[in-house]
Amino acid sequence: MVNFTVDQMRALMDVVTNVRNMSVIAHVDHGKSTLTDSLVQRAGIISAAKAGEARFTDTRKDEQERGITIKSTAISLYSEISDDDVKDIKQKTTGNSFLINLIDSPGHVDFSSEVTAALRVTDGALVVVDCVEGVCVQTETVLRQALGERIKPVVVINKVDRALLELQVTKEDLYQSFSRTVESANVIIATYTDKVLGDVQVYPERGTVAFGSGLHGWAFTVRQFATRYSKKFGVDRAKMMERLWGDSYFNPKTKKWTNKDRDADGKPLERAFNMFILDPIFRLFSAIMNFKKDEIPMLLEKLEITLKGDEKDLEGKALLKIVMKKFLPAADALLEMIVIHLPSPVTAQFYRADTLYEGPSDDVTCQSIKNCDPNADLVLYVSKMVPTSDKGRFYAFGRVFAGTVKSGQKVRIQGPNYVPGKKEDLFVKAIQRVVLMMGRFVEPIDDCPAGNIVGLVGIDQFLLKSGTLTTNETAHNMKVMKFSVSPVVQVAVEVKNASDLPKLVEGLKRLSKSDPCVLCQMNESGEHIVAATGELHLEICLQDLENDHAGVPLKISPPVVSYRETVEGESSMVALSKSPNKHNRIYLKAEPLGEEVSVAIETGKVSPRDDFKARARVLADEFGWDVTDARKIWCFGPEGTGPNVVVDQTKAVQYLSEIKDSVVSGFAWASGAGPILDEKLRGIRFNIMDVTLHADSIHRGAGQILPTMRRVTYAAMLLAEPRIQEPVFLVEIQCPESAVGGIYSVLNKKRGQVISEEQRPGTPLFTVKAYLPVNESFGFTGELRQATGGQAFPQMVFDHWATLGTDPLDPTSKAGEIVIAARKRQGLKEEVPPYTEYYDKL
Amino acid sequence: MTDIVAPSLSTYQDDVTFQRYEESKHERPYLGPGWEAHGDLTGKLNEYYSIPELCEYLKQKHHGKKRFKKITLQFPDALVADSAIVVQLIQKTLEENDNHGDDVESTVVIEAVDHNDSHKHKEKDDCKKTCLNCKCSDDIEGEKDVKQQVWILADTAYSSCCIDEVAAGHVGSDIVVHFGDACLNTIQKLQAVYVFGKPYLELDRVVEKFKETYSTEDKVILMADAPYTRHLHELFNALTPFFANIAYTDIDLELANNAKIVGFESSSHKEVFKFSNRVIKGLEELQEDDLSEFKLFHITTPQPPHLLFLSTKFSEMTTYEPMDNSTNSGPFPSLMKRYRYMQMARAAGTIGILVNTLSLRNTNEVIKTVSNKIREAGKKHYMFVVGKPNVAKLANFESIELWCILGCGQGGIILDQSNEFYKPIITPYELEMALNPVVTWTGQWCTGFDELLKEEQDAETNSDEDIPNSPDSKDDDEDDIPQFNPVTGKLISTSRPLRQIQHLEIDAVSQDSKDQGQLVKAFSKSLAIKGTVSTSAQYLQNRAWSGLGSDFTDTDVDPEGAVVEQGRGGVARGYDFDIRKDK
Repeated sequence: MVNFTVDQMRALMDVVTNVRNMSVIAHVDHGKSTLTDSLVQRAGIISAAKAGEARFTDTRKDEQERGITIKSTAISLYSEISDDDVKDIKQKTTGNSFLINLIDSPGHVDFSSEVTAALRVTDGALVVVDCVEGVCVQTETVLRQALGERIKPVVVINKVDRALLELQVTKEDLYQSFSRTVESANVIIATYTDKVLGDVQVYPERGTVAFGSGLHGWAFTVRQFATRYSKKFGVDRAKMMERLWGDSYFNPKTKKWTNKDRDADGKPLERAFNMFILDPIFRLFSAIMNFKKDEIPMLLEKLEITLKGDEKDLEGKALLKIVMKKFLPAADALLEMIVIHLPSPVTAQFYRADTLYEGPSDDVTCQSIKNCDPNADLVLYVSKMVPTSDKGRFYAFGRVFAGTVKSGQKVRIQGPNYVPGKKEDLFVKAIQRVVLMMGRFVEPIDDCPAGNIVGLVGIDQFLLKSGTLTTNETAHNMKVMKFSVSPVVQVAVEVKNASDLPKLVEGLKRLSKSDPCVLCQMNESGEHIVAATGELHLEICLQDLENDHAGVPLKISPPVVSYRETVEGESSMVALSKSPNKHNRIYLKAEPLGEEVSVAIETGKVSPRDDFKARARVLADEFGWDVTDARKIWCFGPEGTGPNVVVDQTKAVQYLSEIKDSVVSGFAWASGAGPILDEKLRGIRFNIMDVTLHADSIHRGAGQILPTMRRVTYAAMLLAEPRIQEPVFLVEIQCPESAVGGIYSVLNKKRGQVISEEQRPGTPLFTVKAYLPVNESFGFTGELRQATGGQAFPQMVFDHWATLGTDPLDPTSKAGEIVIAARKRQGLKEEVPPYTEYYDKL
Repeated sequence: MTDIVAPSLSTYQDDVTFQRYEESKHERPYLGPGWEAHGDLTGKLNEYYSIPELCEYLKQKHHGKKRFKKITLQFPDALVADSAIVVQLIQKTLEENDNHGDDVESTVVIEAVDHNDSHKHKEKDDCKKTCLNCKCSDDIEGEKDVKQQVWILADTAYSSCCIDEVAAGHVGSDIVVHFGDACLNTIQKLQAVYVFGKPYLELDRVVEKFKETYSTEDKVILMADAPYTRHLHELFNALTPFFANIAYTDIDLELANNAKIVGFESSSHKEVFKFSNRVIKGLEELQEDDLSEFKLFHITTPQPPHLLFLSTKFSEMTTYEPMDNSTNSGPFPSLMKRYRYMQMARAAGTIGILVNTLSLRNTNEVIKTVSNKIREAGKKHYMFVVGKPNVAKLANFESIELWCILGCGQGGIILDQSNEFYKPIITPYELEMALNPVVTWTGQWCTGFDELLKEEQDAETNSDEDIPNSPDSKDDDEDDIPQFNPVTGKLISTSRPLRQIQHLEIDAVSQDSKDQGQLVKAFSKSLAIKGTVSTSAQYLQNRAWSGLGSDFTDTDVDPEGAVVEQGRGGVARGYDFDIRKDK
């Protein structure tokens, strides 16, 4: 039965110090959902027998069928820990009941955006690592994201049973493997850590690493064993913990601890970790798996494990499972780690507020977030939409950062484009209901104070994917989430029957809502485009669209990629365009913006929403810009946020500020569709060198400037060695040595570029990393499987935009071929217009 | 000491300042090869434009008086070169044929570029010109009945295929003679004569090309612009021995019911059915629905809107250019792009109605229908009439999110094929679809007003029962739910600006703003001028630059003042420093 009531949980919400918001993150198939089951089972939501198999948080049918998580799922759990453990918590707490808001996230790289959305509303992360496969590409990605959001990690090394049963490793080997995994996790943490967080590396001896098996439902931390042994040895627990990890040995003869692996006689000593922790586990395994009937009861007695009537008759794996679950229940170890080591919202919001809030850090709203104040004005961030049973409607899922959200409360709904004081993207609406998300169920509650995760009913129509809710008119937005993945794989969809068109459009809307990352747009030639992060993501999205959101038969085009237009050099001369009336001129030069700055803009490090002085500082300090130039950035584009800038370098031009609006609109227009293949521009800096304007304002109106700005942008680009960029995946493939040859041959055929090949120590597995153009990636998985006899399975994640080296204006080059194909598809003239089309002579 | 030079009051000018255009020789390929050898251009044109027949018609009498006293000749740009000769020919013929032979007034007025300037060219009847609308002109005409004046109209502001009623109205013309290709659209009130001309077509070459393009089984319809249509019957006869499934089109003479077509005889074949402004002949059992199975062979390339229209009707299309004997099978303007524009129209909050014709029948009704529809859909509209719309003119109205153009389907609709225009331009038919609450797309492309108005009436009769459920009756809370824009993939809340004022209107009415003396009223979310939402005003408020001084800060002031510097001089085409640079 359920061990706790909604009322109990609601009461705990007010005790914010005893709340833990955490997400479970990992590489695909490292066992997140399975491990989560142990926790859910402890809370009594699923029966103990099913734990490890049910994958309670995989709520969708296709998740259960495919055996992978697609959507992140939240669940709130109630837990009590002993007074003894409470003492170890180094932050403020009240009593020993805790509320854990847990979000299980997908591990496949294609769904990284779900992880981002989960991380935003949590403060801690349980990073699951497969003990055999070790730290993989997605482990790194999610860890990096977590640290970027200032989220504290703890690590679970999972699937230890595999190491014991399949690989039959020795104790020392296992220790070494653990130690390596912890080390490589720490390397990543050290690389991406934020100073504000302090030391967030994980240490087994401090209890921030657990070891276990989600499938068998057991796990332990060094701390748990230390607790057992500290009584026996009469040593302090903290001291004991340090002795149980690392180069620490116990000499049973002298009963002394030492840090040398040999005793006085030169005989090898056994590592304390192996002797005290691994030994009992190894012995249990060997006794049960080798059917040593007489040894088992003895061991069980020693370990204080009692079996019930029918459990005694079990044998082999089944018995092992029961015994291990009783010996080292996974939930105990995990809960202990979560409660003791992960921050409460009060602790976390204090250091997270600055990175979460767009406005100045000294304003009221920011302060109330910092203090996690339930009595302040409401600030709530909606990070994603969760479909309800009512088709087409969604729960807005998010976290209360300040104030208290109540049913019936009127709130300001601020979309991502909201600017304080303006009316754009702002709605004032009442929240119909507040609910608690419990996996596949929801429980209504009346209100929810700061620091908790909730679902809201009745505001889904006003937000597309995410947004800020507040009751304070002066509040700025919470920062928009930046995803580590980009929707670069796209298809065109169209209805089979014309009469189904309204359903398709409605379906596209629902699809965009239900997924944080998918893009549903229309291209220049009027096709509905669905863009996703990878082939799997696309497949899931299209399946949802066809069966669920639209519910009509669809025609789907083969996948294509989108390109970007850029430049490689500086304009060979100043581009000049005259306005239609010939009275105004704009002189413009294009030059590469530089990959670092482009990426900084794309990741939001440099953003048009920043204060221009602060932005100029960053550009000057980190990217070597001239400060005056950096302050004179007129606009970003496309869509006002993209990685292209217009810099005003004119001197003493009269009426210049008057035409700024028109130049900005003209640039927005031009940067959205470049001259080469009507794609967005990327990584170009445009310098306005000079402007000549007619003295009469009527002759320098928008009609004159807008088209001129567009023309001159194109001219400047075409004069500056234009290039096209294609998206490139980072591919990681783990496989046995025999398959490596096959991988290479497939990669070669597909323009792939191997960047590293390593053997994972202690295993026969090789890890190959390579760059692969997205364009070539379609069907890559299948071909790879064929070439390697099904032994290699790639993980592909968008990494960067690569400039094609060849001239796109030359129809015989590779780039030129792409351009011609794209122009043909869009019904444009095949050859790219020459710069003279946009350039005016003096 | 520098020399003191008298200030030059006018701009310095030399050869560079004013660019001269080389006088180009007029090519007249439509007359066929080798006409220059004959040297008799006048004779050739006399025949080409069927001048004798035309004059026969023009000198008709009505109650003993000349029926047409003022004759205007309308030439498309391509044929303007012929205008002078044609006028001379007409005058001569009229004169010769005139029995009295005494006082035929030979006035030629060129009505060009700017209509207001036309009086400058006038020769002697000032009085008549200035008093067009008063009695005195009638008096004079009453006295001298026989005077027939001929005027040339050029530079037609909108589509050259339509009769330019307004320009003709400037001289109070009795009849317009339209030369060249024509759409034959019914016009409001004027008398008109169409002279298509008799262009030369080398039949053998066309037949040859045709055979290259199609296989004998293909179902093909032959079509041409109005002047070349005369050859279609002959072409049809030449092709029928080889191709079984072909038909051809002819001019629909009924269309031009209040106008006369000169120099054109339609073939004697039985008409099968009407299609657009043509009739289809040659295949007896052909049905209108079958057209989508047919391919189209079109002599000359139609103007883009007509091209798009035709390409939606036929399975395939090939255009033949008689000048250089070449064929083209695409790409033609794409209908999918129109779909995109239609979706953009759904998201647009402010729509500009661009009136691109002044002569088409039903223009007023369509304007009324369209603006009503827009208002019903909660969008804001503004109406525009501009002479010859171009990119710059339309971009001046930045707050307009989308243009709806009312014009002739043959050439009066702007199809923006290279994304030159800042905002999309759509037709009333497309707008009608966009304003439908449910996304609709018929895959058709209609340009005619009649279809639109007919559909409108049908919709009215059908929708009587639906009215209680119309979107207006939804409760206020539902009103401002943002709309999903499938073009950008984002939610937009600005697509129905008028919705916001619905509950504000009560407010505006009750106050009866007269005594308030207040013109602009800002509401919580929208801005109203005289009781209607003004999206333009809203747009202007969002501009960074809001007028003189808004960009001025105290820190800009230099207490010392600025040094006076030499400015720039010259004309915009080449300022003085440019000229120096060039040298």
